[in-house]
Amino acid sequence: MQKENIFDIRDVSKVYCMKGVETHALRGVNLTVKRGEYAAIIGPSGSGKSTLMHIMGCLDTPTKGKVIIEDSDTSEMDDNELARIRREKIGFVFQAYNLIPGLTAIENISLPMRFNGIGKGDAQRRAKELLDKVGLGDRMEHKPSEMSGGEQQRVAIARSLVNDPDVIMGDEPTGNLDSKTSEEIMDVIEDLHKKTGKTVIIVTHDRNIAKRASRKIMMLDGKVAK
Amino acid sequence: MFDIAVRELAGHRTRTILTALGIFIAITAIVSLGSISAGVNDLISSSTSSIGADTIFVMKHFDMSEMSGPPGSQSIEDMTAEQVAEISEISGVKRTVPIIVSQAGGFFEVDGLNIEDVDLFGGENLEFEEGMWPENDEKAAVLGKVVANSFDAAVGDTILLNKKEVEVAGIFEEGSGAYDLVIIIPYDAANDIYEADGGATQIILEPVDISMVDSIKETVEEEHEDLDAMTMEDALSMMEEMIGTLNIMTFGIGFVTSLVAAIGIIITMYTSVVERKRQIGIMKATGAYGRTILMQILEEGIVISLVSSVLAVGVSFFFVDLINNVLMGGTKLAMITPELAVGAVLYGVLLTILASLYPARMAVKVDPIKAIRGN
Repeated sequence: MQKENIFDIRDVSKVYCMKGVETHALRGVNLTVKRGEYAAIIGPSGSGKSTLMHIMGCLDTPTKGKVIIEDSDTSEMDDNELARIRREKIGFVFQAYNLIPGLTAIENISLPMRFNGIGKGDAQRRAKELLDKVGLGDRMEHKPSEMSGGEQQRVAIARSLVNDPDVIMGDEPTGNLDSKTSEEIMDVIEDLHKKTGKTVIIVTHDRNIAKRASRKIMMLDGKVAK
Repeated sequence: MFDIAVRELAGHRTRTILTALGIFIAITAIVSLGSISAGVNDLISSSTSSIGADTIFVMKHFDMSEMSGPPGSQSIEDMTAEQVAEISEISGVKRTVPIIVSQAGGFFEVDGLNIEDVDLFGGENLEFEEGMWPENDEKAAVLGKVVANSFDAAVGDTILLNKKEVEVAGIFEEGSGAYDLVIIIPYDAANDIYEADGGATQIILEPVDISMVDSIKETVEEEHEDLDAMTMEDALSMMEEMIGTLNIMTFGIGFVTSLVAAIGIIITMYTSVVERKRQIGIMKATGAYGRTILMQILEEGIVISLVSSVLAVGVSFFFVDLINNVLMGGTKLAMITPELAVGAVLYGVLLTILASLYPARMAVKVDPIKAIRGN
């Protein structure tokens, strides 16, 4: 049986130390996210929403507190275990798309599968399926520089899905796109959420994007406001 | 993921080619020098193995420090006829073989000795391609195959030694080792051609018994202060020293060139990691293990070094061919043994792996958050 809570964040703090000056990005965050939820993390710049997402997504570790993903306490994991969670449980979609410039769409999508030890042929077959799913079946051999922002973000979404993760995390996924393309990208993500029941967590400062989520998590001064 | 490594290298063609060039030059230098080392070793061992262990060589004392003028302008002085006679009288000497040594055609050695004494060098086992040994009273020569090619001479032709005509009596078969480069003439002919007055450049002594080698050597050096006597043991250790020096030179040059190549690899790999920080960050963010990143950088190094080392060995075969056939006129001075070829490729790959370790470790430490944030 699957657990109700996929994320359980307990009293998480994050302090950055730059040139001897301490910055408190998170100050005791408590938060749970249920499996299958569609949540938007919102808040002004510097409120700690990106930091929270990075910690939830195992890209960063908290200075204090616990992050429990499906019963596993990630604060006690080493780099390799964290990498495995990022690869298998979480799919990231970033604001700047973050595709690898030298590789084609299909190679970019299949890369996380290759990290999982899957052969080139199998990985590319899966990548092709996903590329069809995001409506770019005809752009397989194109490099990121040959695609528009919206197309690159679709490729990034396909990449996030390649290892069939439980959670899709978007860090301002529409931040670099015009409003029409933003809507299209969010349609793709929402469609995924509806059809596959994947948990979706989006960091955004765009009201229109946040509006579409079923739950809004407001961050203010490093804390969850509501 | 060698395919990704190849894609990455192909994406930065200039940088890849320059790195490969560094490795290529180092490996070519090592293999070419190593091949000369191996070849000389082989030549020396093949030419000394046919000489008896009890043989004593006598020659005029030769001091390198007393040399003046460019190398080669000095000729080794001859011993006089009296000295030859006195040495042959020393007790325990069974046979005295005076040899007049000279040069012809640049680097061919002319040995003048009585033909019945050629057995001292295993001469009786040499195969002739054409002709045979001359009589002692003939003004005739036997040529190594390389010499014959160089003089374009066949049996019955006449060649000039010291501007005097000598008939070709025989030609050794090709591949007779050091004998490929030698001209052998009877002692009397050499005495006449080089105006030696019954003297000799070198005397080879055969003792009655091997136990007398040391006492003969001592007597020669006591009675003739201007002469050096060398036993086979001395000669072997001298040659070993020569080969040792050659090996040290090879090693030294190889070490320096590979050091330069290694620094080149470190710089290019380092630049490549710095340039790709974001990309490495993306790979880590999407779940690549640290060791996956490490392997990715090392694989790029392995691909470059494998290709350039194999190419270098290939080109070295061409160089060796050039040295042997053009420079040496057919003698196998240089040779690439399978061990040398395989060893050089392995060395090239190992060197690159070692040089890539630091940049690769740096890549592993890239912080994915910092890397992916930048636009």
